[in-house]
Amino acid sequence: MPVRLTTAVLSLAVVVLAGCTLGPSTSVVAGGRIDVVATISVWGNILAQLGGAHVHATSIISNPDVDPHDYEPTPADARTIATARLLVRNGIGYDAWAGRAAAANPDSRRTDIDVGKLVGVPVGGNPHRWYAPADVTKVADAITAGLKRIDPGDAAYFDAQRTAFETSRLAPYHRLVEEIRSAYGGTPIGASESVVTPLAEALGLKVLTPQRFLDAISEGAEPSAADKSAIDRQIARGEIEVYVFNRQNSTPDVAAQVAAARARGIPVVSITEVLSPPTASFQDWQVAQLQALRAALADASGR
Amino acid sequence: MAVHLSWDLGWDVRQLLAFPFMVNALRAGTIVAVVAGAIGYFMVLRRESFAGHTLALIGFPGAAGATWLGINESAGFFGFCVAGALVIAALPAQGRANPLGGYGERSAVIGTVQAFALACGLLFVTLYHGLLSGLNDLLFGTIIGITSRQVVTLLVAGVAALAVLAVIARPLLFATVDADVARARGVRVRLVGAAFLVLLGVAAAGTSQVTGTLLVFALLVAPAATAVRITARPVAGVVLSVVIAVVVTWLGEGVAYFSPYPIGFWVTTFAFGFFLLAGGYRALADRRG
Repeated sequence: MPVRLTTAVLSLAVVVLAGCTLGPSTSVVAGGRIDVVATISVWGNILAQLGGAHVHATSIISNPDVDPHDYEPTPADARTIATARLLVRNGIGYDAWAGRAAAANPDSRRTDIDVGKLVGVPVGGNPHRWYAPADVTKVADAITAGLKRIDPGDAAYFDAQRTAFETSRLAPYHRLVEEIRSAYGGTPIGASESVVTPLAEALGLKVLTPQRFLDAISEGAEPSAADKSAIDRQIARGEIEVYVFNRQNSTPDVAAQVAAARARGIPVVSITEVLSPPTASFQDWQVAQLQALRAALADASGR
Repeated sequence: MAVHLSWDLGWDVRQLLAFPFMVNALRAGTIVAVVAGAIGYFMVLRRESFAGHTLALIGFPGAAGATWLGINESAGFFGFCVAGALVIAALPAQGRANPLGGYGERSAVIGTVQAFALACGLLFVTLYHGLLSGLNDLLFGTIIGITSRQVVTLLVAGVAALAVLAVIARPLLFATVDADVARARGVRVRLVGAAFLVLLGVAAAGTSQVTGTLLVFALLVAPAATAVRITARPVAGVVLSVVIAVVVTWLGEGVAYFSPYPIGFWVTTFAFGFFLLAGGYRALADRRG
């Protein structure tokens, strides 16, 4: 038997070495457009807007019912990443599978934008960077820089797209953020999970909900009883002026808080983690949510 | 970018090997299939499937702990599985003054270790606040994220495990068939058994990285269980077990590439299919006498 097993070891080595001779072969440009891919549709939408007619953009997760935390990539997703010239992934542990897929398909020609690394948020930090306007700007800049590097011939086009994106398409969004910040900055609010936090920071709103509760709901963990009773107390005493919740992740605890806030006469605003409706542009989606939030803040403060 | 199956097998294989991730997946799958097929055969003969199952599950806290600490996932798998094997090997082989006696007592202790290991995994997942996306991959396997470095790690571990198995195969088989006689002939039964558990840990850790920790048995048990239904001869059994493991891995990975369903399902389904065929063959052979 030892002889047979040694043979098995050797044949194993032969099989693996034979595999080594197979090189990668990837196609790069589809119909003159650059293949670019984002893991989630929020970044994918911005990527498509900035690339315009010169890119073929794909978002791996475009179904709003899919929780990106639990997403299981398919071989088709891996092929999309392997053939893309530009990859935008969120990082911060949000889409770790994309980093692994990229590492399994090393390609020096692929530009890899890891949003967490770009904006300096380590793993364990708040991953919902698309709710931070300053981070959205940084990502857009990195995307344009990447596209110009891949296709220097169209650099002027990509610059023009970037300018148009900032000055006309995102203008209502930036204006609303500024208006809410100056009119309602410092207002205490309650939130259902950490999706709300980056936006609240940008708007200068004070989230009174315990951080541990926000993280627990966002990560799908069990919130503690102490945190839940603290939130119930904040709502019952009217310490928060508006309650903001993620309607794509409404656990029984969150639903109970929404009901309690409504019963207490506290305006409730719902937001979503991803583009809603799925076909909306980033700016239309954000502007609609910000308008609803401004209305709720106005309602609560009587201004 | 869509791929499709055609009647031209050569074209299908070229599509399959067009991307590094798939080449890596096939390399890694082949390595773990050979190792799991060979070691799994002895595991089935020794009736240590429950220990193998526990070692596979110990890979889960290993990988979760490694992710939490920010170290290499492979290191977590191998470290925990080998440590778990040593713990199980150190447990008393015979329960003294226990109505359950040997096997029952041992499996109860192994089960207790398993429960604790899973609890540790849950703790690590909770401690790691980075959402641990990829929990599914950890439990049910993935073929899209295997790097060349991981393949080398699997190869080194696999070759080492098979080399040790080749050295201890004869005394191990002896100790398995009749421990008392083997002991009388000077075989160090306890030591050989402990060494085998460590090999089992290595096999479970390697296989976990391809099939996921919950489906390790697709390669560790199913091919061996199929082989023992076809032949009673150990050498033929090991070879058959390895061949079945490799074939179901190639089939599973190939089909997973062209289909939207996950690799763990396919590999396990093909392994189960072979097992059913072998069962039918056995029934026919027994009826003929």
